Amino acid sequence: MMSRQNNPKMEAVANAPAATARNDQPRVLIIVPAFNEARSLPALLRALHSQCPGCDVVVIDDGSTDGTREALAGQARVVSLACNLGIGGAVQTGLKIALLENYDIAMQVDGDGQHPAHEVSKLLAALHEMQCDLVVGSRFRNAGGFKSTLARRIAIHLFSASLSRICGTRITDATSGFRAMNRRAIELLARRYSEDYPEVEALVVAHRAGLRIGEVAVQMSERTAGKSSIGSIKSVIYMIKVPLAIFMTLLRRSEARL
Amino acid sequence: MQEHGQAIVFLFTLAIFALVMGLVLKRKITERFAVLWMAISFLLLLTSSLGFRYIFKIAEVFGIPYPPSALFLIVIFGLTLLVIELFVWISRLNERSRILAQQVALLWDRLEKSNAQRTDLP
Repeated sequence: MMSRQNNPKMEAVANAPAATARNDQPRVLIIVPAFNEARSLPALLRALHSQCPGCDVVVIDDGSTDGTREALAGQARVVSLACNLGIGGAVQTGLKIALLENYDIAMQVDGDGQHPAHEVSKLLAALHEMQCDLVVGSRFRNAGGFKSTLARRIAIHLFSASLSRICGTRITDATSGFRAMNRRAIELLARRYSEDYPEVEALVVAHRAGLRIGEVAVQMSERTAGKSSIGSIKSVIYMIKVPLAIFMTLLRRSEARL
Repeated sequence: MQEHGQAIVFLFTLAIFALVMGLVLKRKITERFAVLWMAISFLLLLTSSLGFRYIFKIAEVFGIPYPPSALFLIVIFGLTLLVIELFVWISRLNERSRILAQQVALLWDRLEKSNAQRTDLP
């Protein structure tokens, strides 16, 4: 049923503009999923514009009710979802844009200000140097920066340890949403992206499809405004849903490969 | 006593049937589900006419001391399957609405872009 997402109508609806002159520089789309982040977004966008020249930025407004769209008028391209789809649906929208508009690389930078703009270039460089299809920015590879709360750290380490085993590479921050994807990864994940808590599952999907996954150390900051989308009951669901999703993805042998 | 029970089940089945048909008429339920409910009422009818004497046998086979419990067990099992089917349907709708929301967002984005280009013209 998931494969139906890749319907031909989609291609007809938004074919690639490819208006910018194509030179050797890869075209990068920075996807900023945001739900009610009107207060932290302007600073992030300013930072992205100054730190990442040459990258296009698209804010996916996931049905915000705080006037995110109006607050960003003229500052960035904002694609607004009619209703709140959750982080997975928002990021997937960005990936679909990257796919349809023929971007070579898609970056995910969360709208809450946790992912600093000056680390973007590090991920982009790693994608090229490590010859990976998907690079995750990890906050646990080095000292410094914001490391989240204890309970979350335990969960993240658990997921990362099992994911390292599954994927055969060392992954220390499986839940990090700070990541860069090349064309192959865009094509895969634009089709198959989980709706809620998608980060860990996406890595398994990518690995199963034969994509190379890498990780680099980055610094993260504490969110500048707003609140996390994951509360206490949700984190219990998270702890059940994510392992289940990983397990199911591993079981789905047939559709694993492109 | 048994005739009483059968009559009640028969009336109940007729009521369900009438309700479902009424909902189809008012377009509040799609034919797909109407068919499902017709099948359910048919099964109920079958149980009420033939099944009652078998319930005792089924209860005996499964070692259920109180035969009506066997009936409840079967009904609960059937209803559980029905609920699961509904969950499948909800998941499908959820998937479709997500794709639609994304498509609308992308279309809206394109529309804005083309409008902006039009106003840029001298």
